[in-house]
Amino acid sequence: MTTDNRIHIKRLKSPFLNMSDVEVEFGKVEEEWEEPMGPTPKPSMTDLREWDMKLLERYKPFYTPVCDMCCLCSFGKCDLTHGKKGACGIDIRTQQARMIALETCIGTAAHGGHARHMLEHQIERKGRDFPIDMGLNIAVEAPITRTVVGIKPGTLGDLEEAVEYAEEQLQHVLSSLHTGNESSYIDYESKALHAGMIDNLVKEIGDIAQIVGYDFPRGDPEAPLVDIGFGTIDKSKPVILTIGHNVAPGAEIVSYTEEHNKAEDIEICGICCTALDLTRRTARGKVIGPLSMETRFIRSGTADVIVLDEQCVRTDLLEEAAKVKAPLIATNDKACHGLKDRSKDPVNDIVTDLVSGKEKAVLVLDPEKVGEVAVRVAEMVAPKREKFKAIPDKEELIAEAKRCVDCEECQRACPVNLHISVALTEAAKGKLGKLSEMRDLCVGCVRCESACPKDIPILSLLEKAAEKKLKEEKSKIRVGRGPIRDTEIRNVGPPIVFGEIPGILALAGCSNYPNGAKEVAEIAEEFIKRNYIVTSSGCAAMSMAQYKDENGESLFEKYPGDFDSGGLTNVGSCLSNAHILGAAIKIPAIFARRDLRGNFEEIADYVLNRVGAVALVWGAYSQKALSIGTGLNRWGIPVILGPSGSKYRRLYLGRKDKEEDWEIFNARNGDRVTVDPTPEHLMYVAESKEEAIVMISKLVMRPNDTTKGRQIKLAHYIDIHKRYFGKKPDNLHLYIRTEGDIPMTQKDEIKKMLKKKKWKEKIIPDPTLVERLVWKKEEKK
Amino acid sequence: MNPKATSWVRTQESGPKKAIPVLPDAASRIIKKAKRPALVIGSKINDVDGVLDRVIELKKTGIEIVATGHSIKFLLDKGTDAFHAGVVEVTNMLTDSDWQGIDGRGLPDLVMVMGVHLDLTNQTFSTLKNFTDIESMCLDRYFMVNATYSFPNLTEDIWLEYLDELIKKCE
Repeated sequence: MTTDNRIHIKRLKSPFLNMSDVEVEFGKVEEEWEEPMGPTPKPSMTDLREWDMKLLERYKPFYTPVCDMCCLCSFGKCDLTHGKKGACGIDIRTQQARMIALETCIGTAAHGGHARHMLEHQIERKGRDFPIDMGLNIAVEAPITRTVVGIKPGTLGDLEEAVEYAEEQLQHVLSSLHTGNESSYIDYESKALHAGMIDNLVKEIGDIAQIVGYDFPRGDPEAPLVDIGFGTIDKSKPVILTIGHNVAPGAEIVSYTEEHNKAEDIEICGICCTALDLTRRTARGKVIGPLSMETRFIRSGTADVIVLDEQCVRTDLLEEAAKVKAPLIATNDKACHGLKDRSKDPVNDIVTDLVSGKEKAVLVLDPEKVGEVAVRVAEMVAPKREKFKAIPDKEELIAEAKRCVDCEECQRACPVNLHISVALTEAAKGKLGKLSEMRDLCVGCVRCESACPKDIPILSLLEKAAEKKLKEEKSKIRVGRGPIRDTEIRNVGPPIVFGEIPGILALAGCSNYPNGAKEVAEIAEEFIKRNYIVTSSGCAAMSMAQYKDENGESLFEKYPGDFDSGGLTNVGSCLSNAHILGAAIKIPAIFARRDLRGNFEEIADYVLNRVGAVALVWGAYSQKALSIGTGLNRWGIPVILGPSGSKYRRLYLGRKDKEEDWEIFNARNGDRVTVDPTPEHLMYVAESKEEAIVMISKLVMRPNDTTKGRQIKLAHYIDIHKRYFGKKPDNLHLYIRTEGDIPMTQKDEIKKMLKKKKWKEKIIPDPTLVERLVWKKEEKK
Repeated sequence: MNPKATSWVRTQESGPKKAIPVLPDAASRIIKKAKRPALVIGSKINDVDGVLDRVIELKKTGIEIVATGHSIKFLLDKGTDAFHAGVVEVTNMLTDSDWQGIDGRGLPDLVMVMGVHLDLTNQTFSTLKNFTDIESMCLDRYFMVNATYSFPNLTEDIWLEYLDELIKKCE
């Protein structure tokens, strides 16, 4: 079969050939794929608009403007407060939606650029025809790509088509943000949802490319446990620190040490997602922690060479690296840091310049060259540096603390409003307890230091105060396993769809936590113990790994890495969290035999109504976290954000008190019926860990739950509500559809409550928001 | 400008319309003038000793209490119940002019906030400012620019004194 171009030759006469009415097709040869093409392969910006409208009708955008003005053009600034309009006519709702679409585009572009680089790098290494083999247990190799693009990629080269589609769509969404386009906030929301869906797609492409190219684990539930934490680093060896998200240079550093018999002699560690991917390349790689660790680890002086790639890399790290005399290598075209490009220079010259100190930092855009330069520089610099650090000793700490004038500017700059000056006042008296405790709550943004009129190095003081704890910071994290196996989906598909496994909780995102990273581990364990499926990626996986129980075990040591009830998986980096969505998509494909190919709407409708999955991004800060979440929303997966998420300025909230919002089609007969308000919200901000836990237990409910499944979900919801809110929920009548839904042990009490509320039994339909699917089901029969 | 009446979080100033700083006397007059005042309390309401007791005293003056996050547990432990919802849920409903309100008798005309996470407090006021005609007032110890009125930035001791004075004047 061929695609693309076709020519019809009516008549051709030459000395060698005489033919007429011949059709010649040329283009890419595609593998035969029996699955019929669905209605929306490579959907344009408006092809799924109708689906978006259905979602947005129920989950109306709720705006919390961070800025009441628009300053995107030189008409402005325009004041849009309370109904005022800008010079272009835009109102504040539309402007919020426009900004959301813009931020989503930024997040999507970050993942897209990363995926494009990774794919090109792997094609360069392995060739365009290198097969995509995800292992024996994974036949549905790219569920997002299949559903969105309508292709079944067999080789690395096949992924190029998907990347090109994504890039085209991103350009269209971005172009819509120019002044004088959309006047409807709903349409900008639809565009944000489109960009979010593209984000999910490019993440999948990028991770598949690195899995097959670097031979990362392919859905292995027993991927090894590796070291995480400050205290795991062997300082007697030269230490190379990698920071960011693109593992290409880090992977080449590993390759160089392996090829030159130096693997045991060099300590390679990382911060943020590049660290997670480093451990997928070699279990000898070590994870320091999430992005909040960047400045504090560099100041500890442990790293002899610092290698930066892209995304979430602090932009003052050149300065920080210079403070501890650690040479720095920038490696990515998105973050050149004003450095001279040395990519084409001989390795010896670059090494000499860095070791001699002639250059404090260089830009090298060739990952293989970075591998050699980083190792050779680390070996030569380590003995000279002697782990020179920028952390004060105790006397210096006290002297610095004494300079505090208690102006509270540090607290006013702190994202979590820490009472820093109170801790400094104590420290000035030699009592370091408060400062040390504060270190666990600090998000590492260093804004306190910028705000301090006395230039007190507050973060460094926190590190010194917590020095003893840091040495003991040693734990284990499971290496990112990548995708969920088809065999696992076969096992859990039915109990998830019927509601007997109470839900899937996906913990993802950044480390901008409202109350310390420990809460992520506590939330995860609450649900693991209750036999939910808990899965993680990125900074959230790192944060939860850092907390150990009384036996000194992390959650990853305590619980199996299976995608099953009571299991805890780590899929890997930000790119890898596409596999969590991939698992949700595989449920309709494998369990319900729904076609994926170009069939977005049907699959999203299935996920929304049947797959009880919820994502929690407790420390949200980045544009990528927003694009990930917005993408999940389009697929029907609710997302809960921590309090900082309110500054994204838009949520999607349902109204359980508005019955008319919960009307669906009963696919059995086409009747329009009102269902229980589940899932109640699509994007929500919880104020506290306790509220997040209760909301998770509520948002896993789906209209398709069987009565047995709903009983189980309600039993957890009631128990959790009582535990964290101090009373049973007073809205159970909304979630009980028939008496069969009532948890057995509480039947009498709940029936009394239902009577008071004048509750009436509802039918449990075969739910769909898409009218055409009613008939599709009939046709199948 | 009074340094105590500048945004506690320095970067929270979001536009030209800014809160009017108020002291307990003015705050009590605003409350008395309101027909249906409501006080939203959040999960941080117990961070400073004695604040929750003062909330209960304010409730006795006829102010409806909305407990958000897990603050409801703190109230129940003190033997007091309240309307309970997520802070974003209740703010969302406040933007709906058809909503019958906390007590089923219509929207409040004054919404006050205390003890909610700072980011959410400011964002709540931003929504009320931009999408409703409801007046808002911050009774926290931080000056919140997006409210209609706000206590200035206060130390914990002074804040408790302000609350005591407010309760006295509302009685």
